[in-house]
Order: sequence, then structure tokens, then C-alpha cells
Amino acid sequence: MGLLNYLRSTILSKVVMAITGAILVIYVIVHTAGNLLIYLGQDTLNSYSQFLHSLGPILWIIRIILIVSAILHIVTSIKLKFENWGAKPTKYAVKNYLKAKFSSRTMIWTGIMVLAFVVYHLLHFTIRVTNPQHYYPEFYQPHNAVSYVLLERFDVYKMVVLGFKNPLISIIYIIGVVIVGFHLDHAIQSMFQTLGYNQKHYFPIIQKSSTALAIIIVICLVSIPISVLLGLVGGKI
Amino acid sequence: MKVKLHIWRQKNNKEKGKFETYELNNVLEDMSFLEMLDVLNEKLILEGKEPVAFDHDCREGICGACSLTINGIPHGPEKATTTCQLHMRKFKDGDEIWIEPFRAKAFPIIKDLVVDRSAFDRIIQAGGFISVNTGQAPEANSILVPKQNADNAMDAAQCIGCGACVAACPNGAAMLFVGAKVSHFAYLPQGQPERKLRVLKMVEQMQKEGFGNCSNLYECEAACPKEISVRFIALMNRDYLKASCSEEKLEVINNE
Amino acid sequence: MILDGKVPSGHITEKWDKHRFEMKLVSPANKRKYKILVIGTGLAGASAAASLAELGYQVEVFTYHDSPRRAHSIAAQGGINAAKNYPNDGDSIWRLFYDTVKGGDFRARESNVYRLAQVSNNIIDQCVAQGVPFAREYSGYLANRSFGGAQLSRTFYARGQTGQQLLLGAYSAMMRQVGLKNIILHTRTEMLDLVVINGIARGIVTRNLLTGKIESFVGDAVVLATGGYSNVFFLSTNAQACNVTATYRAYKRGAFFANPAFTQIHPTCIPQSGEHQSKLTLMSESLRNDGRVWVPKNPGDKRKPTDIPEEERDYFLERMYPSYGNLAPRDIASRAAKRVCDEGRGVGPTGNGVYLDFSDAIKRLGKKVIEERYGNLFEMYERITGDNPYETPMMIYPAPHYTMGGLWVDYNLMSNLPGLHVIGEANFSDHGANRLGASALMQGLADGYFILPYTIGHYFATTKLEKVTTDHPEFKKCEEEVKERINKIMSIKGKKTPTQFHRELGKIMWNYCGMSRNEEGLKKALDLVPQLREEFWNNLTVVGEEGDLNIVLEKALRVADFLEFAELMLWDALERNESCGGHFREEHQYPDGEAKRDDENFCHVAAWEYTGVGNKPIRHIEPLTFEYVPLTIRSYK
Repeated sequence: MGLLNYLRSTILSKVVMAITGAILVIYVIVHTAGNLLIYLGQDTLNSYSQFLHSLGPILWIIRIILIVSAILHIVTSIKLKFENWGAKPTKYAVKNYLKAKFSSRTMIWTGIMVLAFVVYHLLHFTIRVTNPQHYYPEFYQPHNAVSYVLLERFDVYKMVVLGFKNPLISIIYIIGVVIVGFHLDHAIQSMFQTLGYNQKHYFPIIQKSSTALAIIIVICLVSIPISVLLGLVGGKI
Repeated sequence: MKVKLHIWRQKNNKEKGKFETYELNNVLEDMSFLEMLDVLNEKLILEGKEPVAFDHDCREGICGACSLTINGIPHGPEKATTTCQLHMRKFKDGDEIWIEPFRAKAFPIIKDLVVDRSAFDRIIQAGGFISVNTGQAPEANSILVPKQNADNAMDAAQCIGCGACVAACPNGAAMLFVGAKVSHFAYLPQGQPERKLRVLKMVEQMQKEGFGNCSNLYECEAACPKEISVRFIALMNRDYLKASCSEEKLEVINNE
Repeated sequence: MILDGKVPSGHITEKWDKHRFEMKLVSPANKRKYKILVIGTGLAGASAAASLAELGYQVEVFTYHDSPRRAHSIAAQGGINAAKNYPNDGDSIWRLFYDTVKGGDFRARESNVYRLAQVSNNIIDQCVAQGVPFAREYSGYLANRSFGGAQLSRTFYARGQTGQQLLLGAYSAMMRQVGLKNIILHTRTEMLDLVVINGIARGIVTRNLLTGKIESFVGDAVVLATGGYSNVFFLSTNAQACNVTATYRAYKRGAFFANPAFTQIHPTCIPQSGEHQSKLTLMSESLRNDGRVWVPKNPGDKRKPTDIPEEERDYFLERMYPSYGNLAPRDIASRAAKRVCDEGRGVGPTGNGVYLDFSDAIKRLGKKVIEERYGNLFEMYERITGDNPYETPMMIYPAPHYTMGGLWVDYNLMSNLPGLHVIGEANFSDHGANRLGASALMQGLADGYFILPYTIGHYFATTKLEKVTTDHPEFKKCEEEVKERINKIMSIKGKKTPTQFHRELGKIMWNYCGMSRNEEGLKKALDLVPQLREEFWNNLTVVGEEGDLNIVLEKALRVADFLEFAELMLWDALERNESCGGHFREEHQYPDGEAKRDDENFCHVAAWEYTGVGNKPIRHIEPLTFEYVPLTIRSYK
């Protein structure tokens, strides 16, 4: 297992956490931006979705990178966590934290919950097994078409709207996204620290930006189910 | 003033420990925390009971011998203060105080509140030095050190080796201690020839001693009586990463 | 007996070079056949152990701490002197030598002091190479500051933690040798006796502080680097564990103890706040640059200091020493503070304190400037006392700080017992009757890095040592004696704790052998100390077991030796019928309170030989000659 040799080193393990984490964070940002296209209407979102699907092998490369990153992230975190529990076999009877934020102390738990959420999310929207009834084909005419043709594509917009109209599903998503936010709050600045970018004057800015970015992502993502529930988006579906 | 103390008592490393409760009625606010424990110990001795064992020596905040986790915080509630410099005026009449040893797998308990911190010495032994024999040194002013670097080195070198960082870390990690020593030399021109080898060897020894991993919680920095910054951990991470891709890494591997 | 310091002949500037050439060498291949036991890991011990191991000797190091880095050298604040003359202000080896001899009030050996000044520059080079982060100018060159009223800037410093940084330098050099297996390190191991075979020091007996195990270690030479004995006063600036046991046990085995009465009292310490107090904390002397020292004019004035009007304050240093004012030298300032407190005008809960007032300086310079200069110290003061020195004056009082006395050594740092070498504060050598600021670090490192490594080789090359193991009857005898002593202490089962005895001893010593001494008081103390010792051996209580980590037993063993040592100190103070430096005999002073030396009768080192507990020891003499620094009167008018 030459590839997993890095696990023998505490710092390299952390570096792998940081780099795979960074990949996943970038993905979350891009994904969030993509999701916001819902506010531009059915056609925009569905076109975007079709564009992604049209990437073909590139899409699969991206997917593989994400899957490998996620697996390494998870495997490494489990290894680190078990070591950490082992390094502190007896807990204090009384423990007061001075600086460690709630989000920082719960990374393993938010991580597990994020994993569960992602699995559900994939089953729901990507593999589409939890609510297959929300999944419709859509017919549209390409802009450059000379003659009148209708092409079939998946109606992502409708699927999202129908999904979020179910309050239970919306609540699951809102909770899931907030947990992702907690995870990111610690994760983003932690990445800089682990990779050695902590300078006296800039690090406080990085720390604040980390929290700000997490909050922005949460607001963006949470706004979608709320908008659907309030009928601001997809009212006519 | 009166205080109620819950103190961890443990005969030795093999037997299990437990809290014992003691009440002290005439504690003065001018007493240091350790003087308060002295009073308790004198009382216990006169009652024919074994006094509470704890490490301490200089009592001016520099030797790093004193430890104690007081109400869940290594060295107690006052910022940037060792236990020996903590005074009872920081507590109120009638307070309950929980006193535990520094806890970590790499700091086994010897007795009561005394723990074995020799792991730190072995980490220094592995590489926490500049290899210069007595007599080899060139004229002092032939080595120029920019003031900024000297100040940074001193910020890191202030570490007193007390182990509060390890005690405060939920993972029992020693990254702040090791990071401070690595950074101290990394900032100085004298430290450059061995820079990569040093960080590789010290981190390796740190792992052998059974310290945990860094989760970037920064509890260490908050508990450190010398306020050593976690940016030294970041510097160590960077140095380690560079060194891992260098020839020195091969040398370390070959020597194993 | 007249002792011979074995000072080499020739002009003082050439003695050390000449001696280095004349000393016999041990070849590299033969060095590894010699084992050296180093006791103590402070500046002197750690630097010696590292240097000797680098040379190829087998070294074993002993410390009672959990780590060698805890040694009390770590607490030194101010700096280290060297004659580099970087500021171009006219410094030289000769001037450093001259200042140190004069500062020691002409009771040090000239040749040793000159050598110390000579190697001072090498120390700075060595420490820089080790990575000690000394203060720098923006140019990258080393910065200097003045210290202790010196007229030039020769002090190198690392913020207020110079001792810590120098010790960590020596410690890391030593740990490197431990890692290379050239040094065997024994932590939490306390030396309890010296083993002398056929008149030669050959080993030590130790107690493992964790298991109580009594063990013997044999070596070809023993190096004591065990520091000073200020804790004989109970309250001092020393660390809690500092003790006299190692040097005192060597004395009991025949080594001579030199000038035990020479102790230094530092004027600016935070005063005792109550009976519970366990130690006194030093506040940097630099505070007297801007602070004004005063007490109320009327005895028993209990008003708050800020309520006492200007005309009812006595700025006694400014009154008594108009030209030096608040910057009067350490010993003078200390004695003046004691005098006003003895008049009942002292302040604070115990009446042993004087005010150090910054209100004028704050008015003159602004709070910001004062904060820049002394911010750290003010914070530390507030942490300890709870008072804010920006608003109310600080309280200070003198406290025992350093001991110039120690085991007698010759020019080679070897005691009268062949094989027993003594370095750092543990020996008596370089500071005479008073130590100058920033000189203790210099001496510890000079001995360890640059002097002992040469002279110990000469000892090996010129001495035929018989093969000895720890099975030798003398080792067994010493072990038995140590065990017997421990058993005796464990079996008294009285009613007083070791700390209680220590505190009582400290009071006797402070009252009668502290800042000023007189014949009557010393004789009284010579009566009181044996009584206390008698009580100790009949009414001590020690709980716990001997074969375990036992903090009470550790303390009791140390106090037992202090109780014997105190008597030696009193004899020395009594017999030295003159005032010099830190040794102030009230009978011998000029009308203005200046110490009055008696060079005709006391221009010598007094080295004491043990003759049994409670017996008056024998006083030997090593005459001191001052060829290069003429004897003069120190005056601060």
C-alpha cells in the first residue's frame, strides 16, 4: 500500500486532509454557484445540467477526483481520530475550553453527518432512487436549430422544486447544509494552518473569511428550499 | 477565604486514581496557588497523611516544572500565567476547585499530580539542537541575524517545556512544543544546515512518544503560559512538507 | 594550613595561555577510558557535560529534576557580560577583570577573574552558534545594554530571559550528546553523598526520587555543579529545591568550604506578604532608574501610600546618598532599606517593605513611556501582589539571591580532594565578597565550556587512578550511611514538619546572619542553630514511605544538611571580623555606613575543614594578593 504510506506521518496525514478538503471545498463552492442558477429559471438550470452531462469523460474525471478525495479524506480522518482518542485515554473530570470553537471540536461528528447527508443527496438527485416520482423528462428546442425539433433532457428544475415542496425533504436539506457550514467554518482556515500559511497579520483575516465563506455557502444553499417552500421559486410547477 | 478542593490522588502508575475532597478555611488571597497547596500539605503531614505530590520548583514562572489542570484548564484560569504565578485572589470565597494532573498518554502519571514529561527531553535529544561543538564557534558578530528573525526566534524559544499544550489539547498533541523548537532554529541562519533533518527527526520522535495529531483547535496556544503562537506549528508543517520531499528524508529512512 | 591556589606563574595576561600549554593532555583514544560524573544540569553542569562528552569522555549526568532544563539558571533575567567592546565604548578584558575584582571587594583570586574575563568573549561566540536568540540591532548585529550601574554597555541579553536561553543552549548541546549515547542522563536522582577512596573522590551515592532506591556510581572524576545555598534563609529568590546537600556532603567528606558567609542580598524583590510565603520574587534592578524609594517619616503610619503627603515621606536613599540617590549599589540600598524597616517605618502587612514609587516618573514621562520600559515587570508585580503599580507605589524588600561562597577550588577548579571538581555557583572562585550583575551566567558557562574541559584532562594525565567498582567497601559504607540517615529521619515520628524547621532556621539566619551581622547576634545564632538541629532530630515528622516518591523525605534530608551548614556559615561570618561586599559586620563600618575592609588581617580566603557535627570547623587560609588591581576603598559618595 505505497499510496497510503503517508498515513504513517502525522503531518502528512494532515496535509492529505487539507488538500482533499480543499478539493471538496472548491467543489462545494462551484456546486453552490451552479445551484443558484435555479433563480434564473427552469431553462438556465436545465441547460447547465445538460452542459455538465455533455462533458462526458471530463465529468467522470471530476467525479473520480471527488470520490478519491472523499475516500482519502474519510479514511485519513478516521485514522487520525482513533490515534487522537488513544493519545488522551483519560478525560478530564472538568474541562473548560478556552479557544476551540464548537465547530472545531465536532469535526468528526459533523463529518459523519455530512457524509450521511451527501449519500442521501446523491440517492435523491443523482441516482434518483429515493423519490423517482419527481423525475421527469423535459422537451426543449435547441437555440441553433433551423427546423423545429424537440430534444429530451432531464428536468432538474422540476425535480428540485418538487423535492423541496415536501417540507420533510426541505428540512433534511436545511439541516444538512447547516452541518456542512459548521464543518467548513473550521475546515477552511484549518487548511491554511496545516499547509503552513499562518502569518501573524493575515491569519486572523483567513479565520474570519473562513467563517464568512461558510455562512455565505449556507445562506445560498438554504435559500433554495426556503424559496421553494415559500413559492418564490417554481410556483407554477 | 474558604475553598473546597477536589484533588486527583493516585498512588502510582499502576493503581487507579480518584478524587479526594479537602476543605481549607484560612486561605489568603495573597497566597499563590501552590502556597495554598503547601498549606494543605502541611496540614496533611501533621495529620499523618500523605501530602499531595506535585511538581514545582522556581515558582516564578520560568522553569516549567509546575503543572496542574485547574478547573479543566492547564495552569488555571489566568491568561499567560503558570500555576506557580496564579494567585488565590483569582478565586472567590467558597469556590470549588478541581485539580487534576496534566493528562495525556505520553505523560504517564507518576503519583498524584506528578506526571512524566521526559518525552519532551527525548524529542529535543532527537534533533532540538544545532550541532556545534564547544570551540567550533566563529566570532559572534560574523553571523548576522535580522532583528525581525531574532525576535521571531525568541518568540518561539520562550517555551518553558511545561507541557500545558499537550495537556490542553483534546488529542494530547505536542505540536506546539515541537513547532516552537523547530521554528526557533528555522528563523536563525545558524539553524539552516540541519533544518530539514531536524524537523524530520523531531516529528518522528514526537510520534514515537505517542502524542496525538493536531486538529487545529488552538487550545494549546490559549493555554500556553508563554503565549506561544500556533503559527509556529504552521511553519513546522511547511518545513516538514518540504523536508519530506528532500534528500534528507531518504537519509532518515535509510538510517531506520 | 595555608592553601595553595596553584596559580601559574607569569604575567596575569599570560597565565592561562601558559597554563594551557603546560597542562598534560589525554589522547583522544584514551579519553573514552575515563568516566566523569557531573552532578547538576544548570549552566555550569550542562555546559561541562556537553563539552566533556564532545571531547570523548564517558559522562554520566545527574539531576533531581524531571528534566535537566529545569535547573535554576533558567530564572536568570538580566544578561551576560562579555568584553567584546562592540559598542566601542572602551571596554576590554582588562576592564572587565578590573570591575569584577573591585566589585567583589577584593576577596576574589585575581588570576581566576582575569581568566574569566578572557573567556567571556568565547562564551558569546559559542552561544550564538548554538542558536541563542540574543537581542539584535536592525542591522543584524548583536545588541548590548548597560547593567547594574556599569559605565559601559557590555551585557548581552535575550529579553528578560537570558538565563533561560543560555541554559536551553547548554541543555540542547547536552541532549545532543545524550542522543549520541555519549552521556548517560539520570533524572529525578539526587546525590546524597560523595565517595572518597584513599583521599580521592571516586563516586557518589544517590537516591532515586521515584523509587527511593539508593545507588552508587563510580567515576574517575566527580564534578559538582550544584549551585548555591541561599535557601538556608528559607525565603530567597532561589527555586524551592535548591539545596546545599551535595556541596555540604562533599565538605563532610573532606572538601574545604570557602567563604560560606559571602551571600548576596538583592534589594528589589517583592516583599513577603505573610507566613505562608514560599519564595521571594526578584524584580529587575532596572526599576530603580525611574522609581523613587521611600517610607513614611513616622513609624507605624498605616495610611494608604497615596494618602501620605509629600512632606511626611522620607526618600531615604536620596537623603542618605545624595549623589547616587535611588541608584545606590545593591548592598548599600539593601542595608538602607533594612535600617528604615528596623526603625519601624517599614510598610506592608509584615512591616518589611519600602515603597518604590513611579508617580513622579509617570508625571514626567507619561504612562506610555513607563509602560514601554517596565510593562512586563508591572504586570508580573500585579499578578503576584494584586496591586497596580501605575496607581499605587510598588513595595519592595531585599532578599537573599546568590551565594559567592562555595567549595574551595584551585586554579584548575579542583577542590582539595583530588578528583572533586566544583564549577559554577557551587564553587567560591570568582566573585569575591560581592557579585556584579550579569556575571553569574558568565562564570557558570566559562567554567563548563572553557575551563574544566582542559583542566580535568590535566588531572587525568597526571594522576594514577586505581581500578575501582561500586563493590568497593567504601561505596558500601557510604550507601549504608545514607540508608541509616534515611531510616533515622523516617523513624523520629515527632510533631513538626521539615518545612516548619526550615522556616525557623531561615528566620534565625536572616535575623543574625542576613544583610548585616554582629558578633553578639552571630554568637546567639550559634547557640540557636544547634538547639534547632537537636529538636529536628527529636521532633521531626515524615510521612509516607521511603521506597516511593516522597516529597517530605526529600525536604527533610535537605533541611537536615542546612541545619548543619548554617553553623558553618555562622562561624565564617563570626571569624571574618571585617566588612566586605555582601558580608557586613556592623562593628566595621565607616561613619556613613560604608563597609570597612580589614586588608591587613582578612585579605584571604577562609576555607573551612569539617571536624564533626557541632564542632567548630578548622579555618584554613589562602592568602590573596592584588598585584594588578590595587586595593582601594569602594565609595559611593
